[in-house]
Parts: sequence; structure tokens; C-alpha cells
Amino acid sequence: MTNSNSDQPFISLTGIAKTYRTGTDSLPIFCDLGLSIAKGEFLAIMGPSGSGKSTLLNLLAGIDTPDGGAIQIGGQRLDQMGEGGLSAWRAHHMGIVFQFYNLLPMLTAAENVELPLLLKPLSARERRERVAKVLDLVGLGGRGRQNPSRMSGGEQQRVGIARAIVSDPTLLLCDEPTGDLDRKSADDVLAILNFLNSELGKTIVMVTHDPEAAAKATRTLHLDKGVFVEDVQVAA
Amino acid sequence: MTFLGFARKSAMRKPLRSSLLIISVAITFLIYGLTASFVTGSQGTAGASEDILGVMNAGGRGQPLPLAYLPRIAELRGVGEISPVTRLRGSAGDARNVVAVSAGDPHRLMAVSGRELGLTPALVGALEGGRDRVLVGRALAKAQGWTVGDRITVTAFRTKKTDGSRDWRFEIAGIFDGAHPSTDTYFVLAQYDYINAARAKDTDTAVTFALRPEPGISPQELAARIDSLFMNSAAPTRTLSEKQFLSAFLSQYTDVKRVVILVVGVSFVTLLMIVINTLVFALRERRFEIGMLKTLGFRRSRILYLILTEALFIFLIGGAVGLGFAKLASLATPPALGLVLDTETALRAAALALLLGLVAGALPALSAMRMPILSTFRTR
Repeated sequence: MTNSNSDQPFISLTGIAKTYRTGTDSLPIFCDLGLSIAKGEFLAIMGPSGSGKSTLLNLLAGIDTPDGGAIQIGGQRLDQMGEGGLSAWRAHHMGIVFQFYNLLPMLTAAENVELPLLLKPLSARERRERVAKVLDLVGLGGRGRQNPSRMSGGEQQRVGIARAIVSDPTLLLCDEPTGDLDRKSADDVLAILNFLNSELGKTIVMVTHDPEAAAKATRTLHLDKGVFVEDVQVAA
Repeated sequence: MTFLGFARKSAMRKPLRSSLLIISVAITFLIYGLTASFVTGSQGTAGASEDILGVMNAGGRGQPLPLAYLPRIAELRGVGEISPVTRLRGSAGDARNVVAVSAGDPHRLMAVSGRELGLTPALVGALEGGRDRVLVGRALAKAQGWTVGDRITVTAFRTKKTDGSRDWRFEIAGIFDGAHPSTDTYFVLAQYDYINAARAKDTDTAVTFALRPEPGISPQELAARIDSLFMNSAAPTRTLSEKQFLSAFLSQYTDVKRVVILVVGVSFVTLLMIVINTLVFALRERRFEIGMLKTLGFRRSRILYLILTEALFIFLIGGAVGLGFAKLASLATPPALGLVLDTETALRAAALALLLGLVAGALPALSAMRMPILSTFRTR
């Protein structure tokens, strides 16, 4: 299934094959999967457990490799990159939001956000300014010195989002970003993602079980047994 | 936050565990610092001179040399100043309170080792004010509570007087400090003539002849010439520098260096096992975090540096604390104990801390570096 709205898709997966093997057992996940995502799209991927959502997200993040096929993002072939190249690509072009935030408990909120910037040639002042800016953006201005363990789940997830966007990536991958949050916090997080997409032009790919979260996306794909069974585009 | 700041915070993520590790490292380096200081100081050998030579009986310390050797040695080319030295050991008051007395010619001794012992013309003048007058080293005077003008009695273990008594009475004429903090000042400096005249045995002999070569003369070459002069005599000599003599004296009892290397080696190996084991277990708790960092774009090499830096942090802090305490101990203990923590020892310890930190961090760092991201995410 491809998106025909754009001649040059930002993300293009063609002929993706992936099988997990443990000993003599093998578990096929994808066979000839195709997907195109336009730049600036907010895509939600839904589907039952075991449908391949997380595997797809891992392939897009370059932390898993396909057995066959091609993954092209922003003109770069991820499937042809080595580990070092993928690390550099992630550091510069991709941000990721985890379900369970994965903030480091010994660091303050600002230091957690600053982590990806340690990989960039920025001065301490430039790093501080960027961190302050994104914390403001997610509504946590002035809370940078607070330890994440003293924040609510929603606030921690907002710190996680700030960390994902502090490097100004073009692509934001979200793995069940509202899966561990109450409705109010989930709505706050989704509002931020919406803003990042609509106002800052970030391309977002979000894996979710939550229909209300998926409803915020501009496009929803339903995955079942490694095949896209439904593609719903929301008119702007 | 810098990368180093991140590594420091990472290393201290579990304050109790990290503190215990740092304490373990500190204790090991305290042991190293103390033992290495002991070897360096070797009860005064650090302050002992390489330039002052001692001519002794090649047959052993118990056998003196005839005083008649003195003019023969003095005539040799390159010999500057020379003094006969005799020694007696005994107790002052309590039988366990052992005191060493070295006796020489005041003026000659001043010329030979006055600079090292911190002797001044005033002190030598005070010493010569009476035959039974002595100078006492600062460390000994402090330990015994002696002051100038005190009269003391040293009951010799072996050296009897002509009247059959072994009680040697002295008057303290002055206190000498030594030129260097590590100089051994835990002894009494008496006059050779007084001891020589009053002793019942070994009259007109010397345990050693202390001499200082003339400027520009190699002590080793002069020592060889002195020994060759008496090679075929009834009492052949063995000439050593003061430092060589003290080291040889200590090695008669045990090879201190070897014992130190063994003790310190075992301590460090044990420490390494403990730290490596702790770091490897700590890493298991951090698998997800390592995966998360790699997902953020941290390269394998960055992860390697991070874990190595954490291990180095623990070793450098622990090593600095341990060495700090060792330095305090070397300053607080009397010089007679011979603890000298010099710059060389400190630099060697710093290098050791660096090496041990790298070794201890290598296994967990390589393991973290090789962790595939997906496998780390499966741990949650």
C-alpha cells in the first residue's frame, strides 16, 4: 500500500521482508511490505498485538534491519547503512518518544533533554538555550531543574518529547506515547504532537492502541498479520 | 552538562553502591600509599645520602675496624672529610624503650654529614662543651620528651664500660632537626672519644668510617679503591653509600620490596575482582538505558567511553582519597617510621589508578558497546 499523494515520499519502504528466527523456529512478520509517508504527515499505526507495529517502528528507527527490501528516509537508504551510520542518522534526523518515557533518574529534566545535544558540536550556552526553548514548547518552562521522578506521568512524557525534538529532527517516532497516561495527560501529549506536526512541520509516525490518539493523526494505517488492511486519510 | 558531567552522574546513580566502591578503592590505595611510602622512606633511607660513604668490616656489622685505618683512608686521593663512628644500642628508662647512640668526632662529623643532619657550628660547639654531652635528633627528643639540659641514662645492651657498668650517662647539649623531613633523627649523637675511652672492649676501633668524597669524585669509584686497599689485610672492608648501607641493613631481615609488591598486588587483584563484578552487575540493570542512549544516536564508541569514564571516576576519586590519607599518615607519623610519600610515589599511584580504572571498566564497557539495541529493549 503506498501513498500516491506525493511524487517523492519522505519515507519509502519497498518489498520489506522480516522474519524472526529462534533456533529452528521462525516467525514471519512482513513479506513484501510497502509504505510511503509524505513529509509533514502525522501517521498513526494501529493493529492488534503481534501485527508488526513495533517491528515496523524499529525498522524506521534503524534499530532493526530488514531481511529484504529497501528503507529510504529523506533520500537516505537506512538498509544500506552500517551501525555507525545509523547512529549518526538517528542523532541528526530522528527523535523517538517511548511509552515509558525512559528518562534517566539521576539527571534533572533539563539534563535528560540535553542528552542528544551532547552529540552535537554546540557550546554549553547553545545547549542551555535549546533545552529551555523545547521545555517551554512542551509547557515545562522553569521546571528544568526538577528531577523527573518528582513529575507526573504526563509531565515525564512531555520531557521525553522535549528530548526527542531538542535536536530538531525531521522525523519523530512515537511508541505508544499515551499508553501509560490518563486521558487528560494523554490529550496534553497529543496536543503537543499535533502542534509539532502542524506548526513545526515534523513528520510523525505513532504506534498506538488508543483510537482517540489515532484520531489526532492525519492518516491512520491498520496493520494486521504484517499487512496493511486499512489506510484512512483525514482531510485537512 | 558535559559528557564528563554525565559520566560522573551516571557513576553516582546509586550513591550507596558507588560510595562503597570508592571506599574500597580508597582503602586499597591507602594500603598502597603506606607500603610504598615505607619502601621509599625505608626507615630513613629516603633522607640517606648517596654521597656519604661508610667503610665497614666486610666480615659483618658485628666486627669493627681498627682506628689505624683512618689515616690510611684519609690519605687516599679524593677523600674529603672522614670521621670514625661507633655505635651503641640500649634502653632509656623502660627496657623496651630502645635508643641508638652514634658517636663520632664532632668537627669531622660536622664536615661529613653536618649538612644532612642539620648540624650547626653552635650545636657542635655545645656538644664539645663536655665529654659526656650529646645531641639528640628532633624525632627522638619529641618522642621521649627530652629537652636541652636534661641528663639521660642509656643502658647499653652489649657495650660495657671499664667499670663493668652498662649505664651510659649523657647530658643533652642540643637538638638537631635533619635537613629533610625524611631524614632519620631518631638517634643520639655522642662523642667518639668519650665512648672509646670508657668502653671495656673494642677500644680504638670504629664500626664504620663515615667519609665524604671531594667534589667531582665518584663515590662508587672511591669505594672500590678503598676496598681494594684493604683487600688482603686482616680486616677487609666493604664500602657503601649511606643509602646502600641502610637498604642492605633492612634487606637482612626481609625483602621489604617483595613483601610490599605481594601485599599490594593481592589487594589490587582483589579490588579489581570486586569492582569488575559490581560494574558488570550494575550494567545488567542499565541494559535498557544503554539501548535508549544508542537509540538517541550515541555511537558504540561513546558508550565505551561512558562506561570507561565511570570506572575511571571511581578509581581516580578513590585513589585520590586513599593517597590523601596515606599522605596525612606520612606527615602525622614520626620520621623514625620512615613513611615518605613523595611525588614519584603519588604519580605512580595516579598511573596505577588510571590503569586499574581502564582494566576494571574494560569488560563492562565492551559488553555495553556490543549490546544490540533490540536485545536491550527486550529486558523491560
